[in-house]
Amino acid sequence: MSTAMNFSTKSFKARPPDKGSFPLDHFGECKSFKETFMKCLKENNFDNSRCRLQSKDYLECRMEKQLMAKEPLEKLGFKDLMDPPAGPETGSKA
Amino acid sequence: MLLLRPSLCCPLTSPLLTGCARTLRRASPRAELFLRRRPPSRLLARSGSRWSRGQEAEWRTKNKTVLMYVAAAGVGMIGLTYASVPLYRLYCQATGLGGAAVAGHDTDQVETMTPIKERIIKVTFNADTHATLQWNFRPQQTEIYLVPGETALAFYRAKNPTEKPIIGISTYNVVPFEAGQYFNKIQCFCFEEQRLNPHEEVDMPVFFYIDPEFDKDPRMAWVDTIILSYTFFEAKEGQNLPLPRYN
Repeated sequence: MSTAMNFSTKSFKARPPDKGSFPLDHFGECKSFKETFMKCLKENNFDNSRCRLQSKDYLECRMEKQLMAKEPLEKLGFKDLMDPPAGPETGSKA
Repeated sequence: MLLLRPSLCCPLTSPLLTGCARTLRRASPRAELFLRRRPPSRLLARSGSRWSRGQEAEWRTKNKTVLMYVAAAGVGMIGLTYASVPLYRLYCQATGLGGAAVAGHDTDQVETMTPIKERIIKVTFNADTHATLQWNFRPQQTEIYLVPGETALAFYRAKNPTEKPIIGISTYNVVPFEAGQYFNKIQCFCFEEQRLNPHEEVDMPVFFYIDPEFDKDPRMAWVDTIILSYTFFEAKEGQNLPLPRYN
């Protein structure tokens, strides 16, 4: 579809991801978090806004197991799920 | 009274002229004077060449200057076509046009963006493999409902049912095409080689969001569904897919 050589039609321009590629979870270290997330989605009729906590947990698991570069959670759009930082601490779990 | 310029070089008209002359000669002897073949004085040949030498030289220089101008224009055009490539690149970098850059797409906006709760968008997932790739590749959810400005996680699953490790590399596509510029992936599994050992099954996450500017775009006013489609190809050892970027 995106390679159709039509004159002056818009074509799709693929862009690389902002933070690169996820390394593969070969050992299934974060599989339980993924299962929780998928269960939450199924229960809530695939509504993403209700399962953001579970997705945050999954990403945190990835960061712990070195499967993802560590990032402060605000940068991943989870600002609303986090407690306001108490003192010099930042990035506390919700 | 017929005033015909005698054409010295056209043999066809001469019988016509003589015919006319004959009839008019009979009519009036005076007309004959006008019809007598008399070349105009400036065409009088001096001996040999038709045009005078001075005029010849003048025309030659005129021709030369015209030729020079035409040649210069031709060379100028060729040079312009060669120069247009870097010039266009500069122009695109300066103005950000050419479809590759999108207003307001920077990674810092993930922090500051606010979700637009009224606009619910359904994102459906599709998974494809190339015919030669023997993986089983499929999405783990058929769709997700989200709003612009909210980050979302989605999973695909890939399994290698064969007895040998296979390396795959993937690319993606977003339909409708215009919505693709608002579809930002924070992290995914595309454009890099992913190796699956025999009988291995992995979960492949995609972490993405839709730009809040999506809501303000009038062309996107009727867009409610976005289809994200991933296609896996088999990668040869050490092959590098060029990352799509505006270079």
